[in-house]
Amino acid sequence: MDPAGTIPPQTAEKRAYGFEVPLWRGIAVFRIASVVYAAALVMQYSKTLSHPVGAWLVIVGMGVWTVFATYAYAEPARRSWGLVAADLVITFACMLSTGIVAGEDYLAVAPPLTATWFGAAPLAAAVMGGRRWAVAAALGYGVCDTILRGEITAAVISGMVLLLLAGYAVGYMAHIAAEAEHRFAQAVELEARTRERERLARTIHDSVLQVLAMVQRRGTELGGEAADLGRLAGEQEAALRALVGAEHRQTSSTTTTADLGALLSIHSATLVTVSTPATEVPLPAAGAAEVDAAVRAALANVDRHCPPGTRVWVLVEDEGDTVVVTVRDDGPGMAAERVAEAEADGRLGLSQSIRGRIRDLGGEATVTTAPQEGVEIELRVPR
Amino acid sequence: MHDAQIRVMVVDDHPMWRDAVARDLTEAGLEVVATAGDGAKAVRIAPATRATVAVVDLQLPDMSGVKVTQQLLAQSDPPRILILSASGEQQDVLDAVKAGATGYLVKSASKDELIDAVTRAHHGDAVFTPGLAGLVLGEYRRLAAAPAPVDDPDTPRLTGRETEVLRLVAKGLTYKQIASRLTLSHRTVQNHVQNTLNKLQLHNRVELVRYAIDQGLDE
Repeated sequence: MDPAGTIPPQTAEKRAYGFEVPLWRGIAVFRIASVVYAAALVMQYSKTLSHPVGAWLVIVGMGVWTVFATYAYAEPARRSWGLVAADLVITFACMLSTGIVAGEDYLAVAPPLTATWFGAAPLAAAVMGGRRWAVAAALGYGVCDTILRGEITAAVISGMVLLLLAGYAVGYMAHIAAEAEHRFAQAVELEARTRERERLARTIHDSVLQVLAMVQRRGTELGGEAADLGRLAGEQEAALRALVGAEHRQTSSTTTTADLGALLSIHSATLVTVSTPATEVPLPAAGAAEVDAAVRAALANVDRHCPPGTRVWVLVEDEGDTVVVTVRDDGPGMAAERVAEAEADGRLGLSQSIRGRIRDLGGEATVTTAPQEGVEIELRVPR
Repeated sequence: MHDAQIRVMVVDDHPMWRDAVARDLTEAGLEVVATAGDGAKAVRIAPATRATVAVVDLQLPDMSGVKVTQQLLAQSDPPRILILSASGEQQDVLDAVKAGATGYLVKSASKDELIDAVTRAHHGDAVFTPGLAGLVLGEYRRLAAAPAPVDDPDTPRLTGRETEVLRLVAKGLTYKQIASRLTLSHRTVQNHVQNTLNKLQLHNRVELVRYAIDQGLDE
């Protein structure tokens, strides 16, 4: 056991939210009540004591230690393993002193001098170190009590069992508290991150996006090089907007399903318009990724084969049992028979990257085109 | 109707945009009668300005563009509402249009598109972008798929032709291209588009009234 190595992170974490504070408070109350009970027992059976003065000195010692321990355990910074060790040593010493100052007559009618007060130290150890410490302390109590009485009596067993149960329960509660605190810390952190993200999104929306959109608009009007700059600004605006806006749409999406609308919206740019329903279009994540890849391939085709400035429209439709994605461009298009030709040649990326992907999803891809009519690719994917 | 009668109110909290939009419209010969930086002011001054078109940004500091739309349209002789928004606010755009906005334009639209849109809005013609068509299509499908009123006659539905037209709008075809592809007149295409919006807005009003009756607000 390396106390220095294992404890600091735990205490540091506990200090943050204080989920275990009620446990420590409970132990303090238990310790104070118990020392009063122990004094009452000594008073009640004072006639059986072998050394009354010694016994009372032990009770006073217990009282002093109770005051000190209550003070010491109150502050997380003072809760050290040294303190717990001292607590255990003093508790065991007080209990063992019963053999010298109280005697067998007293033990025949009452528990050892420490009575229930003994429980406080093992409980503190259980909160600090977990259930194993409580079990060990309970067994130690059993051994010491047996030594005091010279035999294993029913009182020894019941005391040990009570201590075992209490220590185990408190240790378990401490464990739960630590777990809860850990989860709570995670939730707080997540919330802070979300809030920060929303704040950033708002700020970016109010400033950068407006300027980028304005540059795009003015640049396009001015023409020439300014138009190129405007186009670049527009693309950055769309990308940035998708980035800060993505979080909002992904609310109910999990790792297994994805919102195809949000996924494809990322492709919107100056020359690419993406139209989706206002509501989510959920699709299994793997399927959505494949559809996205097919759309990318279609967009890449336009880039490769159409003159600059060709516009593209992507439409996402949710028909219930089918999801339809259409990619249409206003490029030069081609004669219908050339599509088959191009596919046979392995050009256009149509066969593999689009048709293959959609077929694997159990859907179909239809290509419609004519000279001067652009190319329209319709992807139908079953749910 | 003459363009000279077009009186525009511009509602946007960003001075940069407000001024740019106002300047573009003025240069094109339209009369910008008022500008407002927040929704409350817009609602307050609208009656006095007798604006025929209000260009409203969806995101305002004090209230949403949807709310501004509702409050402006509740006034007597209200202006037509043209929603101007950055992309990526789909639900808000849809809500504003359902609340009665005549159209929607993205902020990155060109000067000519803006002037055209304001002019069309002034004449009461729906201003549809592909994005809005996608939203409206989605809304009709959502209403059709909603479990509660299966055969509710009030649930608006698209005719086959309307669906066809809306899908083509969403795929970026111009009304002219749609007209020639479906061998319809330009006006018929415009009417189909307008109808899809009217049905949705009517349904929205019916729903609001029904809600008010359910809540006992009519008493």
